[in-house]
Amino acid sequence: MEVLEIVKTGLGASVQDLGRIGWKRFGVPPSGVMDPHAAAWANRLVGNSDGAPLLELLLQGAKFRVLTERRFAVAGAEAGARISAWHARSIARGEVLEFPRNQKGLWTYVAVHGGFEAGEVLGSSSAYPRGGIGRMLQPGDRLSAGSASDVLHVGESWTAWSEQRDYDAPPLSRVWRGPQWELFDPAEQRCFLDAEWEVSSRSDRVGYRLEGARLNAPAGEMRSEPVVVGSIQVPPNGQPIVTMRDGPTVGGYPKIGIVDPESLSWLAQCRPGVRFRWAPAE
Amino acid sequence: MRWTPCGPHAALIELAETDDAATRARSRAILRFLERERVRAIVDFSAAFDKVLLEFRTGEDVAALASQWMRKFSALKPVDAAASALHEIPVVYDGEDIAELAERHGLGVGEVISRHSAPIYEVVLLGFSPGFPYLAGLDPKLCTPRRASPRPRVPAGSVAIGGSHTGIYSIESPGGWHLLGTTPVRIFDPARREPDDEAMFLLRAGDRVKFVPAE
Repeated sequence: MEVLEIVKTGLGASVQDLGRIGWKRFGVPPSGVMDPHAAAWANRLVGNSDGAPLLELLLQGAKFRVLTERRFAVAGAEAGARISAWHARSIARGEVLEFPRNQKGLWTYVAVHGGFEAGEVLGSSSAYPRGGIGRMLQPGDRLSAGSASDVLHVGESWTAWSEQRDYDAPPLSRVWRGPQWELFDPAEQRCFLDAEWEVSSRSDRVGYRLEGARLNAPAGEMRSEPVVVGSIQVPPNGQPIVTMRDGPTVGGYPKIGIVDPESLSWLAQCRPGVRFRWAPAE
Repeated sequence: MRWTPCGPHAALIELAETDDAATRARSRAILRFLERERVRAIVDFSAAFDKVLLEFRTGEDVAALASQWMRKFSALKPVDAAASALHEIPVVYDGEDIAELAERHGLGVGEVISRHSAPIYEVVLLGFSPGFPYLAGLDPKLCTPRRASPRPRVPAGSVAIGGSHTGIYSIESPGGWHLLGTTPVRIFDPARREPDDEAMFLLRAGDRVKFVPAE
């Protein structure tokens, strides 16, 4: 049943789930939600499983029209919608759901009871347009949801305070030593761990560039090797790049560290200007 | 064989110090084994050159599993290139960069074509974009560093040279390799789903490729 029409996509809207796992050997990255913590809460608030397909919005500007009364939830970055972040409630047919002003974080999640229905490719509904799999949403798209349960939810529900996140104040980001940690000079290792970092505006679902210090990469070329999401590569220009969910499956730059998956959901929401520090995970 | 952790849930296994035919035969054996066995504790695996990445389920003991799997891998019989699938791929050698590349190496265009279509290449990894093969076995005379400025759009099916590898663009994407020609063969096609989703990919890591000049 059609539940939502896209009026405006804002800076970018796509359907995502927990990603396509198991295809890395074919060069297919996992994709999926950038902030699994927020996405899981959006789904839970409307009674879905954590991995149900939902909408991921970048910053602001999206506008939707509700086609069928359903329960919707918003979580992640606060963008000024009539459902505030970390809340869920029913929205009547014909009402408009708009995200005019991003206030914190980068990615906002919109879940609907029953889950959005999008075709699966390689076991996932996650859009990965760069790789020719799925596409970004466009104005005029009408999205369907799975069938509603008989249980009638009324009123508003929200995420416990302890699970809501203030993306302007990230905690220490846990980082593991990368496969090439030992190749970095001890002074570079210290510089990496001691500096205060922020995410550059030249960042996207493929990779987050970090600013804060320039690191001297170890000399010599290395052969490309498979990489995991969260790998921190240091190219010759010394500006680290974190491999994000649409990032390449192989990389040829030395990896100084790997962001812990729990911390990566925080890092994914760090806007340029938000400072964070590393804490060794070992 | 040795391993290094890749975050809390993954192990990167280094098969050997060198990337040669023997290493690739071992890598091929491991890939084919994991594809056959579908191990529950391993949620994803991939290989490139001399390394194999194992990604485990959350909560598994990575150190114990890495040692256990390395023992198992050591016992596998290497699978030589000759035992893997050979794909003949037609190429129209009309690429934008072929004349420049020929001149750079002091060769005629015809010689570039014959040298590029002579070897039987090995797929050492699929990466960069879905199904994009890095092919080893390029004639040393054709090795060419990547272009200084990548093109914003390279069409799918472009056959190209980057460094000591040749490859085929699987989708339209930005790219810095030198374009030699094009193939009509769809090496990645999301609509090709029979008998299963793996049919989207024409090539697997470890397969062999031979280019056949076409009009």
